[in-house]
Amino acid sequence: MIRLLMPVFFILLAVAYLVFTFQLPESQIGNPNGPRYFPALIGFFLLLISIIYCIQEWKQRKEELEEVKQLFTGRTPYLIGSTLVLILIYTFLFERIGFLYSTILFLGGLLFVVNGRKKWLINIVVAVIFSFVSWYSFSELLQVSLP
Amino acid sequence: MRKWIGFISVLSLLIMAGCGGSSSGDGEGGAEFPQEDIEFVAPASPGGGWDGTARAMQKIMSDEGIIEENINVVNKPGGSGEVGWQYLSGQDAHHLAINSSLVITNNLLGQSELTYEDFTPLGILTTEWISVAVPPESEFEKGKDVMEQLKEDPTSLKIGVAPGLGNNDHLSFVQAAKEFGVDIPKVEFLIYESGGDVVSALLGGHVDVATMSVSEAKEQHNAGKFNMIAVSSEERIEGLEGVPTWKEQGVDMVFPHWRGVMGPPDMTEEEIAYWDDKISEMVDSEAWQKVLENNEWQSFYKDSSESKAFLEEQTKNYDELLSESGLTD
Amino acid sequence: MGVDFQNVIEGLMVSIRPLNLLWVLIGGFLGTVVGMLPGLGPATAVAVLIPITFGMDPTSALILMAAIYYGAMYGGSRSSILLNTPGDGSAIAATFDGYPMSQKGQAGQALTISAIASLIGGLFAIVGFVLLAKPLASFALRFGPAEYFMLMLFTLSAIVSLSKGNMVKGFIAMSIGLILSTVGIDLQTGVHRFTFDIPQLSEGIDFLVVIIGVYAVGEVLYNFIGIDSLGSGKKKVGKKWITKEQWQQSKWPMIRSGPMGFLIGVLPGAGGSIASMLSYTTERQLSKNPERFGKGAVEGVAAPESANNAASVGAFIPLLTMGIPGSGTTAVILGAVIMLGLRPGPLLFENSPDMVWTLVNSMFIGNIMLVIMNILMVGLLVRILDTPPKVLYPLILVLAFIGTYTLSYSMVDFYILVIFGLIGLAMKLLNFPIAPLILAVIVGSDMEQNFRKSVVSHDNYLNIFFASSVSTTLTIMTILSVLYPFFLGWLQKRKQKQA
Repeated sequence: MIRLLMPVFFILLAVAYLVFTFQLPESQIGNPNGPRYFPALIGFFLLLISIIYCIQEWKQRKEELEEVKQLFTGRTPYLIGSTLVLILIYTFLFERIGFLYSTILFLGGLLFVVNGRKKWLINIVVAVIFSFVSWYSFSELLQVSLP
Repeated sequence: MRKWIGFISVLSLLIMAGCGGSSSGDGEGGAEFPQEDIEFVAPASPGGGWDGTARAMQKIMSDEGIIEENINVVNKPGGSGEVGWQYLSGQDAHHLAINSSLVITNNLLGQSELTYEDFTPLGILTTEWISVAVPPESEFEKGKDVMEQLKEDPTSLKIGVAPGLGNNDHLSFVQAAKEFGVDIPKVEFLIYESGGDVVSALLGGHVDVATMSVSEAKEQHNAGKFNMIAVSSEERIEGLEGVPTWKEQGVDMVFPHWRGVMGPPDMTEEEIAYWDDKISEMVDSEAWQKVLENNEWQSFYKDSSESKAFLEEQTKNYDELLSESGLTD
Repeated sequence: MGVDFQNVIEGLMVSIRPLNLLWVLIGGFLGTVVGMLPGLGPATAVAVLIPITFGMDPTSALILMAAIYYGAMYGGSRSSILLNTPGDGSAIAATFDGYPMSQKGQAGQALTISAIASLIGGLFAIVGFVLLAKPLASFALRFGPAEYFMLMLFTLSAIVSLSKGNMVKGFIAMSIGLILSTVGIDLQTGVHRFTFDIPQLSEGIDFLVVIIGVYAVGEVLYNFIGIDSLGSGKKKVGKKWITKEQWQQSKWPMIRSGPMGFLIGVLPGAGGSIASMLSYTTERQLSKNPERFGKGAVEGVAAPESANNAASVGAFIPLLTMGIPGSGTTAVILGAVIMLGLRPGPLLFENSPDMVWTLVNSMFIGNIMLVIMNILMVGLLVRILDTPPKVLYPLILVLAFIGTYTLSYSMVDFYILVIFGLIGLAMKLLNFPIAPLILAVIVGSDMEQNFRKSVVSHDNYLNIFFASSVSTTLTIMTILSVLYPFFLGWLQKRKQKQA
């Protein structure tokens, strides 16, 4: 049954997109429906193709999804979850405490999570050096403005 | 464990292999207003007119020693200037941003809460003039002929414009059309992404008429690839003496495509005076004349108080034109 | 064809002046580096150099900026091949077979062949430039909205048809990409679509953020699966030099793709992404064993690399003959040379032929320098694969964020990046092809605009498909490319029955 999740999601997406499309304001210039034609075309096409997809998946409903299962084995959920949390923190800090410090924290955190606590020395050294080098080369050499 | 060291050194090498950057002098100013580095905000990606103006100002102000402090240019593209100006509104008087009529029209079109009144206008620097062009084999010889045709049948011609509706190229055409009583919302404008695309559409005969800045059209006109039939300036333009102005064709209209600078809101008198001083010094420099010449910009200098009055008058004009064009009610 | 060989020789003399050679070297190297990094592309690199080119001789500035542009085409494929993380649209096709080659332990050879292919494509394009610049420029002008629309539709359908046995998933990926491309202000009418009042969305979603998200971030997350069971790195990188057999396999694909990429590059607005993807699909359809493609076929790396470099040379034709920039990067270059007082336009060839031919010759020299430089770097680059994955992937993630930030300095892009990273992960897990999504995001909005412009021009929907001989041809090819896989399947079934 889990196989039907994706097709149903796409069908809902297509429907939602079509609803938004028909709610678009009318254009004051030229053809009032101009902005809607192309999105409507895509929306209906996606709807049609998702229904075909749904039927295809229904036929194979007995087969297991091996790849997806792997997502929930071992450290994977922990790794992906912590990475997302770290990214959120990074995004929050990026413009507040500046590129250099936030990147050291972000990269350091990632390395501790992924590479493990035992290799703390390598983690810290890599995080500091890499952040500094990229900060230096982007903002000083390439003159890209970083916060 | 030497492996990762190898990697880091490779990567560092690659990243550092940039170009020779500029070393920064010390930025200690006097005790007075500019106490830190100056920042010019170009609310667009590098390469366009806003960015070019900001970088030219940076270059001249530091090279000619007009400003001692370091000057940095930052690009804040997005939302037709909105992102950059939004950013400016939270800064102090060390930060200036380049502006143009979009600071007025974004608000009128409902795309922005900000207007020029939310900032401190510091000056208008340059303008470009806007032309109407047709293919060389076109039956139209004057802008007037195009308008009369459109008056008869507004859907009979395809008009190329870039990079969006409500910009100067579009609105100057609208203003001229209005004078002739054309039913403007019915006119078929084809919008291209960049000025270059409009040029190629006209050269390839995919549009009948195009409106674009004079600098974009000049080379093609001189090469006989297409024919400029009207310009929006007060008098005929140097080097294009054969092209009549709209005024000569009976349309009372002068339509500049100006660019200026503004600062954040609530600047002190002293800060405004400082910038008036520095900007007018820059505008008088020879290097600035060279920049104008290279970019085919015309000088259009107005100081801070003149700018304010100018922006007010422009707002009225744009408001009228936008509703005329059908973009606003 | 109006080429004055006197001018060509004079241009050669100017271009081998030591200072100009140095600019080519610097530009080519810088281009290679920025091409490798996610998000940083030639357009950014050229823009960064604008202040430095102030006060330079316009010809030298043009040489330098052009070298960055084609240098980035060489560099772009490096990260595609080694890490499956392309930095730009034109490098995507290099992942199709380049990354599988890497996984088979042939990273060194993949890098070498892609450099050689770039050289061959570049040389073809330069010869084409010398002989055909003017007639091609007028041919390109005949491409109106209808022709562009059909060209894009054809490329999309060709890419979807690649998703073997799973065209449905390919079409879904394509539709999602097209949906994403409709976000932002509608160019033709000024109506805001699907922006939900977020000002950063009003100019649409930057396709580079999508590429970095789906490929780089998605790849990192995907590799977290089973990362503990991977060893300490030390993958086999294989030999550096290519074998005779590999040369035989990729010789003709490289030679065919050069002119093809060049022609597409000449069209303003088409560019390297379309050129490389079309040459890839063409080679696959011409191949006697198409099943090798996607599993590390050497010609699958050679063809698109030859095409995208040829396209980058072709993009200079509209710029130099008509003053029309044909791509984002050439637009920035145009802006920069205008600041220097040079006005590329229809008269440039007449007024300063020396400059045009100096540039062309410098491209020739630059391509040769770049191929040497890139082959020398192969040994260094494959060492990236020596890094333990547990250190490498966090670093890629950080580079992805920096690259994204430099695109528009906006935090909103960080959220978009993460969302696309997750989408990329899901697509990899569920076996959705990624290329149709990315290509749709790249060409989607142009496709719609051209579609609507051509409706205005031709008054009837059906006329678009047969507006001219060019669009009729493209229409037929589009239909064939969708039907071809079905036809193949049918043929195989029949064979099986007979056997």
